[in-house]
Amino acid sequence: MEPEVMKAELVLPTHLSFKRVQMYEKYPKGQARGRHWKHLKQILQAENFQNYLADEPNYVNIESSPSMHPCKRICDITGFEAPYFDPRTNLRYASADIFKIVRSLPNEYVQRYLALRNAAVVLK
Amino acid sequence: MPFISQFHRQSDYNYFSSTTPIVIDNGASYFRIGWAGETDPRVIFRNIVQRPRHKATGETVTIVGDHDPALLKYFDCTRSGPRSAFDSNVVYQFEIMEYILDFGFDRLGANGSQIDHPILITECVCNPVQSRCKMAELLFETYGVPSVAFGVDAAFSYKYNQRHGICDKDGLAICPGFTTTHVIPFIDGEPVYKGCCRTNIGGFHVTDYLKQLLSLKYPHHMARFTWEKVEDLKMEHCYIAPDYTSEARLFQKGTKEAEDKTRCWQLPWVPPPVEEPPSEEEIARKAAIKERQGQRLREMAEAKRSSRINELENQLRGMEFLLQQLEQVEEAEIPSFLKDTGYVSKQEIESSLVKVTLSLRKAKGEPKAEQAEVEEKSDSSMNEKYPLVNIPDNMLTPEQIKEKRRQLFLKTTSDGRQRAKQKRQEEELERERKNQLDEEKRLENPELYLEQMRVKYKELSEKVEQRKRLKANGNHSNGNNVPGGVGRGERLNAAQRERMRLLTTAAFDRGKGEDTFGAKDEDWQLYKLMSKDNDDDDDEGLDEDEVELAQISSRLQEIDPAFVPKLDVGPSQPAPEIPRFRPLTKEDFQILLGVERFRCPEILFHPNLVGIDQAGLDEMAGVSIRRLSTKDQDLEERLTSSILMTGGSCLYPGMSERLEAGIRMIRPCGSPIKVVRALDPILDAWRGASTYAAALQFPQQTFSRMDYYEKGEDWLRRYQFCYTL
Repeated sequence: MEPEVMKAELVLPTHLSFKRVQMYEKYPKGQARGRHWKHLKQILQAENFQNYLADEPNYVNIESSPSMHPCKRICDITGFEAPYFDPRTNLRYASADIFKIVRSLPNEYVQRYLALRNAAVVLK
Repeated sequence: MPFISQFHRQSDYNYFSSTTPIVIDNGASYFRIGWAGETDPRVIFRNIVQRPRHKATGETVTIVGDHDPALLKYFDCTRSGPRSAFDSNVVYQFEIMEYILDFGFDRLGANGSQIDHPILITECVCNPVQSRCKMAELLFETYGVPSVAFGVDAAFSYKYNQRHGICDKDGLAICPGFTTTHVIPFIDGEPVYKGCCRTNIGGFHVTDYLKQLLSLKYPHHMARFTWEKVEDLKMEHCYIAPDYTSEARLFQKGTKEAEDKTRCWQLPWVPPPVEEPPSEEEIARKAAIKERQGQRLREMAEAKRSSRINELENQLRGMEFLLQQLEQVEEAEIPSFLKDTGYVSKQEIESSLVKVTLSLRKAKGEPKAEQAEVEEKSDSSMNEKYPLVNIPDNMLTPEQIKEKRRQLFLKTTSDGRQRAKQKRQEEELERERKNQLDEEKRLENPELYLEQMRVKYKELSEKVEQRKRLKANGNHSNGNNVPGGVGRGERLNAAQRERMRLLTTAAFDRGKGEDTFGAKDEDWQLYKLMSKDNDDDDDEGLDEDEVELAQISSRLQEIDPAFVPKLDVGPSQPAPEIPRFRPLTKEDFQILLGVERFRCPEILFHPNLVGIDQAGLDEMAGVSIRRLSTKDQDLEERLTSSILMTGGSCLYPGMSERLEAGIRMIRPCGSPIKVVRALDPILDAWRGASTYAAALQFPQQTFSRMDYYEKGEDWLRRYQFCYTL
């Protein structure tokens, strides 16, 4: 290890005195480490919230509902108010100059702009 | 102001007794740890872990938190991005959590065989019991902690501020965090989770949005927009507009206010060194060198020419000598005499003599006119060789007729050659004349001429580009949208129409019902036909335009000093560097933040701008009150008159005014609304937890290992704090 790295104490030491079980004992090398952790979706599924009372708050009930306010439509490229919509690329635009830019964008950029709005075509 | 991590190792661990609790604020962005009863946490760092490989030794090491990037160059970080233990706001990766706790305790100065202090750790609202279990297990098993308590960070913050009189015991806590935003009503000082409301949007999404927008707007500087840098930009420059639409309109109109509000980030840029115009002596020297080279070339050419002339003359003399000799020899002996020399007959010698004289003349550089004369002479001599052509057929014998046909053929070919030559000469004259006219026009009115040329150039180039784009678009949409078919709104050009026609009629028109296309070999000729059609049509149309464009551009290059030919930038993706139409200027390296400054935090109020279909901050307050389902008007008024903003993402300027306006819209007219910001939105959660842990009744709220094992998971699910002590 280089001296400055040692001095900065960048690296976590492998043996810590206050731990009962060290990391290298718990997770021996060579075994698949991260794959057995359940993601949030799986955790929530396993919880079986429908078995409990609907009145009690739990992680899923407190989520907020879809918005009731009218959707705000802004131009995908500039951020101004955008009353218009291009059917070919599905982008929103605010004026004719911006439309020129929209039409001249290569497909990659179109998909990235749409991805900002979560409206991109996702091929699995 | 950017957050600053601090992780010096603390040295006073041993001064604290075993009853002093350690307080941990385990947030998705930062991890804060310290002792109960103090005002500030001792150790703060970003809640991420990296596991790169050391380049020299090859071992995989663990690095917790964010560190000086200069030190990281010793590590190979390509396969290990920073990882977080959180998924949304719930801890799910306990291996990473363990690394983080290790680091936290280590920097707090822990020594001894286990952590011998009770721990108060924060979690999210309504944490799933599995996550809680695993956390408790981790703390009890691996660290040997005697007792643990779980609490909600927003609640701690509220209690702390309540203690300091910022808000009342009934109120609403609005907590925009890193990955989620919560609104929690408080009644009598206790959070009522039934009325709690959570939207999955937070500071992380705002930074991500800003990063994407900037990358799309400035693709050549994409490498500059690292996540940390963009977060700094966000914290420094973003603000919340009181009304998005009117603010956007200001920018759209390009008013002076908009100019003032646009911030500019100048990237470091060094202008390229200006080439000095070569000095006088340089020019003179270069000219002299060129002279000398030219001289040398000319000498070489001379030498070659004279040697060639000599050779030819030798040949000529040899042949003349031969001819002379021939005249002295008899007829019959000619073939044997000539066998040695390589010629077969006298005529051959004569014809080669003529050829050699001609080339000699050319080498000597005599004017072409003579040559033309010679050609004409030879032509006229040819004419005499067609004696039979003019005699009508019926007067000739069959052999003579054959002879005549041959001569006729020869004559027509030579006639054709002459005609072609004449046409070429005429064209040359014509072109000369046109050039002359052009020159005259240019000389008489240079400005106007230039203008006309430029306009014509622009038109032509637009036409060419449009056609190219149409073709590319046609191909594109043919490939992407409907394979082989026609995209919506596309007009087929003639070639595509022809192709469709061939496909539909020829291919499928074979007998009723059965498709026997391909049974015979000649069926496949169809494709040759189609591709031929395609090529022909496209190429022809483009050619003339392109040719003219090339001509005009070369002309313009000659006469117009300011003209730069438009490079052929294809419609496909722009190169990662700036297309070099002109030398790079300072402006190319400036990043302008105008609309983005208030467009990005706007997503907190309108999550559907980024596609998350949930309520925004102001609407959430209404939802929360509605969920409480008490018809007590009084209570609602009390709630709205004490609204506390806490959490890292509430530091944007203009947030409280906007929130107030938003909530006023959904409450009945005239109800009291007061929005206050917490004293320190970032550290207040930890401070609240610290004061809570320092209270005397704290041990009653914790649970120990024994409790955990006896009472089990179900009890843990219902475990709730009581925040008022």
